[in-house]
Amino acid sequence: MSFTFRLMLRDLRSGDLLTLLLALVISVSTVTSIGLFIDRLQLSFEQESANLLAADRLVRSDDELPDEWKVKAEALSLRYAERISFTTMMFADNSLQLSQLSAVTEGYPLKGAYLVDDTLFGTGQSSTEAPQPGEIWVSSRLASLLNVQIGNQVDVGDATFTVTKYLVRDPGSSTSAFAISPRAVMNMADLAATNVIIPGSRVRYSLLLAGERAALSEYEDWITPQLNEGQRWQTPTQRGERIGDTIGRAESFLLLAGTLAVIMSGVAMALASARFVKRHLMQVAILKTLGATPKLLGKVFFQQLFTLFLAGALIGLGIGWAIQELIASILSGLMSTALPEPSVSRLWLGVATGAISMLVFCLPLMSHLIKISPLSVLQPNAKVELNTVFIYVIGFMGMYGLMCVYTNGFLLPSIMTAAISAIALFVAGIGWMAFKLGRSLTSGATSGWQIGLASLYRRLVPNLFQLLVFTLIIMLTLILIGVKSNLIADWQQQLPEDAPNHYLFNVQAEQIESINDATDALNVPRSDWYPMVRGRVIEANGESVEALYPEERGEPELYERELNLTWSDSIGKGNELVAGDFSANGLSVEQKAAQEAKLSLGDELTINIGGNIITLPITSIRTVDWGSMQPNFYLMLPKSALEDYPANFVSSLFIDETAAQPFYKAMSQFPTVSILNVGDILKQIQSIIGQLSKAIQLVLFCILSAGALVLLASVRSTLEERLEEGALLRVLGAKSALVRQALLVEFGALGFFAGIIAALGAEACLFGLQVFVFNSQASVHPLLWVLGPVIGVCVISTIGIFASRTVLKVPPMLLLRGL
Amino acid sequence: MASNTAIKVSNLTHTVTSNTGDLTILKGINMEIKESESVAIVGSSGSGKSTLLGLLAGLDVNTSGEVFLYDQAFSGQSEERRALIRGEYVGFVFQSFHLLPSLQAIENVMLPAELKGDKEARKKAEVLLEKVGLSHRLTHYPNQLSGGEQQRVAIARAFASNPKILFADEPTGNLDEENGKLIIKLLFELNQSQGTTLVMVTHDNELAKMCDRQLVMSAGQLTEKSL
Ligand SMILES: Nc1ncnc2c1ncn2[C@@H]1O[C@H](COP(=O)(O)OP(=O)(O)O)[C@@H](O)[C@H]1O
Ligand SMILES: [Mg+2]
Repeated sequence: MSFTFRLMLRDLRSGDLLTLLLALVISVSTVTSIGLFIDRLQLSFEQESANLLAADRLVRSDDELPDEWKVKAEALSLRYAERISFTTMMFADNSLQLSQLSAVTEGYPLKGAYLVDDTLFGTGQSSTEAPQPGEIWVSSRLASLLNVQIGNQVDVGDATFTVTKYLVRDPGSSTSAFAISPRAVMNMADLAATNVIIPGSRVRYSLLLAGERAALSEYEDWITPQLNEGQRWQTPTQRGERIGDTIGRAESFLLLAGTLAVIMSGVAMALASARFVKRHLMQVAILKTLGATPKLLGKVFFQQLFTLFLAGALIGLGIGWAIQELIASILSGLMSTALPEPSVSRLWLGVATGAISMLVFCLPLMSHLIKISPLSVLQPNAKVELNTVFIYVIGFMGMYGLMCVYTNGFLLPSIMTAAISAIALFVAGIGWMAFKLGRSLTSGATSGWQIGLASLYRRLVPNLFQLLVFTLIIMLTLILIGVKSNLIADWQQQLPEDAPNHYLFNVQAEQIESINDATDALNVPRSDWYPMVRGRVIEANGESVEALYPEERGEPELYERELNLTWSDSIGKGNELVAGDFSANGLSVEQKAAQEAKLSLGDELTINIGGNIITLPITSIRTVDWGSMQPNFYLMLPKSALEDYPANFVSSLFIDETAAQPFYKAMSQFPTVSILNVGDILKQIQSIIGQLSKAIQLVLFCILSAGALVLLASVRSTLEERLEEGALLRVLGAKSALVRQALLVEFGALGFFAGIIAALGAEACLFGLQVFVFNSQASVHPLLWVLGPVIGVCVISTIGIFASRTVLKVPPMLLLRGL
Repeated sequence: MASNTAIKVSNLTHTVTSNTGDLTILKGINMEIKESESVAIVGSSGSGKSTLLGLLAGLDVNTSGEVFLYDQAFSGQSEERRALIRGEYVGFVFQSFHLLPSLQAIENVMLPAELKGDKEARKKAEVLLEKVGLSHRLTHYPNQLSGGEQQRVAIARAFASNPKILFADEPTGNLDEENGKLIIKLLFELNQSQGTTLVMVTHDNELAKMCDRQLVMSAGQLTEKSL
């Protein structure tokens, strides 16, 4: 066995190596477990959303799908299916109806399932198979409009089909609220015989893909450059803005949590490294007097650190893996689907955290140590000037880099870094003043209070540093708690249990009354009725939209398509005015749509409504809660501008299970009214939110445990010094109760300051996060102001007293000679 | 008596920077010490004795002037070279022992031999510890040993590399009289039996008198004390 390892083994007995190893293990395992868990959740969300897309990925085209696309999919061993959707007239015995028809190949849907039923307006059973040739599935709505039942025949173009099921849900159907009409599905094999698709028909072709992630992304790389204007690559998360938004925020949260874990482990590593190096100062100096050359020492310590790294990384990865398995198994009871296995490739993150922490915190200190002259260490009154500021700057940069890699961006790390720097400055300033004040208020050494407060000032720099660590950890905790409760409250607010799950469209003014009566009779809650007129924005500030956006791509949504326009006396539920005056005689534009089109108050839009052109200024900007499931509009016009046009009305309703059947029956009196059921989507979102909330709480718990460990490490790092002093006091006759009281005061005061400053910092951070990362409204969190100091005082003094408990029992003699 | 020069110092000065400004501790020291001589350096506390001893042993780099050990100059050498010279020629005993707290007595004594890759390190260490009368405390840790015992371990460690020169900085300063005597006895015995040059800082007049020569350190200057 080489000298290095013998030295290491002997060091192991002293516990210094173990402390560093422990910090490393905490680092690697926290980052690993959170990284892996986030990965699994992401995969799981992706799968859930894949059910809404009916595939993992989809390529949409206005033209027929090129054969190479399928060849390539086969080459990459991807499963694929095709869907062709178009609007066509369907005929039954003596009625006809314009319908949304899709023809699908064998294997469709690749993900998710159809919901079909044998009874009209039934709730449906799932079916993963598409209709057989010769069959057609029609929605209950279409069936009642065409007045057909199961077993009847309908004609599409030149072909005749038998109705075999009522279609409740098509997994790939558009969730866009206004693009509905009665729908039906048939087998692709029958499409040619219908002869309905002729050159120039408006048809949407989709190629659906499913398979390995790597193959999918290879396919994406291959196809993206070939896509023309009418073709789009779609991923599950783009689908359905609400789900995308929800998952996006959850991902941001988990990413944030992971980033905080990185910072915490950085702090743990910094503390442990500093301790390790401090304790090895003497060792290095003595070895040098005995003739150890810098080269040899360099080798010895490099080997030691490397071995330590290997051990720490392996143990950390193992524990990290185990923890995320544990979280996953706790969650598995709550999740509707089993979590997919994590990607092994994610493991590098934990390893990188360990490696970078060692590189930035240990190596610079160590190499500095090796250069130091032994005399300066061994002189009893000499101070060793470790260039710690420089070292912490390196460490800080390392952590920043790691966070950037981790979050794959700069925004979050920059916010966190700015906040931490500000907090560090603040802590230094405030702490110094507070300790000084504490010192001047008390003099003498007769009570624990006096001794405790005095020693805060006496060991100013280490105490300020410790205060910073405490503050950071508490702040990170508070941020997470704040974000968590914000997110969950946000979600719950967005999707209350009784969120509307049905929309009624195409309602004529004279039908409103009777529909109101019908729904009231069933006790179905209903939103207001909004009149709806279709129109298209053709000019902005006098310039035509085509001139503004000569290429179709990049056109803002406001100009892209025909819009549903409405008017209303009041701004409406879920809408909030952000600028201007809603009652003014002008346009009210949704905020994001306005931003996208670079419009602000006073800009003029020209709108074509059924051939009539009107120009109006923008007089108000609104935000719209798209998650509310209320009817929402990008553009609202003054009543005077719209009231002369024939309008349809729209409303949203909440229909619970028991009311569904009677409601559908009642609605069949109004055959021209379109009904859109978004209940399934809603349920899916609610279940995802439920899972997310639980996942987030678990992750929070894990991080808090890691935080407590870091606090413990931090307390321990200065404990020896404090105890030495305590031992001295005891030698001088102080009772151990006095020493304990002094420690309690010292830690309690540190915790209190840390808690207050942390609350302030967390509030500032939350503001930044809410505004820049989560794109939500900023708010104040009074809870944090209570939690901060309470956590600070209770947790830190408990940890401090607990950590020093055993040592307080030891006779002072042993302490004085043993250190 | 052989009269090879073990240590030669010319115009040695040393300045350190502290937070109160530059402080010149040694102001032009000249001296020569012959092989196998025993030399005591005396002087008041804070006069620079420890600093001088450290520089003689190459534990730090002097500001100007020259230090030669057996005609090898320390000044201008890399830390690497100086460490090798130290390992070859020098043993050091400190006032506050400076044993490695995480190592047992025997492991402390084994260190110098281990650094040279000596496979017999343990055996040699056992022999040395027996010589200093500690064969029964081999596996004790420094904090389980008394001051005198710790210093005996330190002496065993200093002799483990068969140094040609042994530097001792107030080796009895932290010990009671009885233990002090024991340590002194050990040092001189080893000095005699192995022909080691002994350079020792001490406040103890009796101890100083036992040495061949006495040098007096005062305000950064060194003068020979005439006997
Ligand atoms: N690295 C250093 N930095 C600052 N002052 C030092 C340093 N080394 C020694 N001194 C100071 O130089 C003076 C001489 O120290 P030293 O050689 O230890 O004296 P002695 O051993 O004679 O008591 C003392 O005042 C000491 O405080
Ligand atoms: Mg001294």
